[in-house]
Amino acid sequence: MIESVSASIMAPTGPRRLSLGWESAQRPVPSGRVAFVSDLSARPRLVMPLAEHVAAYGRLPGGLTMRMVLDTLRAANLTGRGGAGFPFWKKLQAVATAESRKSPVVIANGSESEPLSKKDALLLKNNPHLVLDGISLVAGMLGAKSAYLYVKDREAHTAVNAAIRERRERGISELRVTIVEAPAGYVAGQETAVVRRIGKGPALPQFSLDRISSSGLRGAPTLLSNVETFAHVAMILRFGAEWYRQGGQGGDRGTRLLTLVGAVGRPGVYELSPGASLAELLREADASDPRAVLFGGYFGRWIDLGAPNTAKFPLDDQALAEHKLSFGAGILGVVGRETCPVVEAAAITEYLAGQSAGQCGPCVHGLPEISTAMARIALSSDVERGMHDLRSVIPLVEHRGGCQHPDGVIQLVRSTVGAFAEEVKLHRSGRCSAQGSHTSVLLPPGASVGTGGAG
Amino acid sequence: MRLVIDPTRCHGHGTCAQLLDEYIRLDKWHYPIVAKQKVSVSHADLLRRAAQLCPELAISIVDE
Repeated sequence: MIESVSASIMAPTGPRRLSLGWESAQRPVPSGRVAFVSDLSARPRLVMPLAEHVAAYGRLPGGLTMRMVLDTLRAANLTGRGGAGFPFWKKLQAVATAESRKSPVVIANGSESEPLSKKDALLLKNNPHLVLDGISLVAGMLGAKSAYLYVKDREAHTAVNAAIRERRERGISELRVTIVEAPAGYVAGQETAVVRRIGKGPALPQFSLDRISSSGLRGAPTLLSNVETFAHVAMILRFGAEWYRQGGQGGDRGTRLLTLVGAVGRPGVYELSPGASLAELLREADASDPRAVLFGGYFGRWIDLGAPNTAKFPLDDQALAEHKLSFGAGILGVVGRETCPVVEAAAITEYLAGQSAGQCGPCVHGLPEISTAMARIALSSDVERGMHDLRSVIPLVEHRGGCQHPDGVIQLVRSTVGAFAEEVKLHRSGRCSAQGSHTSVLLPPGASVGTGGAG
Repeated sequence: MRLVIDPTRCHGHGTCAQLLDEYIRLDKWHYPIVAKQKVSVSHADLLRRAAQLCPELAISIVDE
C-alpha cells in the first residue's frame, strides 16, 4: 500500500541528495556544489534499509493526480538521464494519453551500456529504494500492473533484488517489479533493444513506425527512462518542483550524477548541484592540465579548453546548450596533454564501429569506412584522404540506421574535426600535439587501441 | 501514401530500386535510398507490388 502523507509540496529540512547515506557523501565538500561520491571501483558500501530510507527521504506521497504529477514534473523541467535528455513529463503524458486496450508498462533502464558510465550501477547499488520509489509512483499514476528494471551490473542486480523483496515484505508496494538482465553490448541499452530484450527477444534495436509510448512492450504503451530519472521523480514528487529548481531550507536542490573519467587524478562518480562550473568539477577531480572534455559519452561532443577561462561556465542545460554541448548519458571524458583528442576520437569510432548491431547496411558498411577515415586523420597517414572520405561517406550513413547508433558516431566525428581543426591541420604536416604516446585514456577498459586499417 | 523501408530488415537485394526507380536509388553498398517518400496515387499499385516482392518484406506503405 502506498501510505498517504500529504500531496502538498513539502520543503525538505535537511540536505537531500541522490547519494544520501553513501559514505563519501558525508565528507565535507570543498565547493559545496560538487560532491565526489565514489571512485570507479566502488563496491556497494551501505545499502540503506527501507526504514532508514523512509526516515531520510520521507514516505511516498499519496493522493496525487496525474494532472498534479505532470504539472510538477513540467515545472521541475526534469529531463531523462540516459542520453537523449527528453522532458520526462512529455514522455509520461504520451503514455498516459496513448489509446490502447493494453495497460501501460514501466521500464527503468539501468543497462548503462555506455562503457565509461558508472553512475547508474552505483545508484542502484547504494540507493535502490529511491529508484523503486520513482518506479512505484510512475506506475501507480499510469495504472501499470507491471514494471521492469533492466540491469547489467551484477552487484546492482543483487541490491535491487534485495530491495524489492524488502518492500514486498513490508507491504510498501503492491507493484510487481521484475528484474531483467541486460546483456553486454553498446546497442543493448537502446530503447527498442531494451523493449525487445524484456519481451524475450534479442537485445537489438528494432525499427517501428510506432513510438514505444503508444506501442512498446508486447504492444502496450511503454514508459522507458533511465534509472536516475526515476530517482529524481521520487524526490520531486516528495519535495516539489520549487525545491528541485530553487532549493529548500537545507540549501540543497535537484542534482545530477556524472561519471568523470580520463586524464584526472580522481576519476569517479560525482553528484553535482546546479551552478557548479566545469572548472570547479575539474578542480575537484584533480585534473592537472585538462586540454579538452568529451561531453555526454561516446555519442558526445567536445569542448576544447585551449583558451583561458573556457571551463568557467556552469554545468546546467542552458549554459551547455550555448556551448553546443549536452550532458548526454552523464559522462565527461577529460583529455590532457599526454594524448591527442583526435586519436582518442578515432579509437572510440573504431570501438563503436565494432559495436554495430549488424542489422542495417549503411551502419554495417559505413561505420568501418568512417573509422578508417578517422584513423588516417588521427595517425597523420593521409589526412587529406581521410577528410575527403568522411565528407563522402557520412551522407550515406546519416539518418539511415534503425537506431541512433550511426548518427551518434557521426556526431562524435563531426565534433572532433570541428573542435580540433587546428590539430587536424597539424596532423596534415605529419605532426601531433600529444606529448605522450598514441594511446587513449577514454577507451573502455579491455578494448584494444587499434586505429588500424588506415595503411 | 508514404513509402518506408525498415533498415534492420533490408538486405540490399535491390528489387525495390528496379521497380520503383522514380522513388528509390541504391547507394554504393546496394542499399536503398528513398529519394521521394510521398507516393502519388497513380503509383499505388506499383508500390504494393514492390512491397510484396521485397524478399525481406522490409517495405511498408503508410496511409496518410
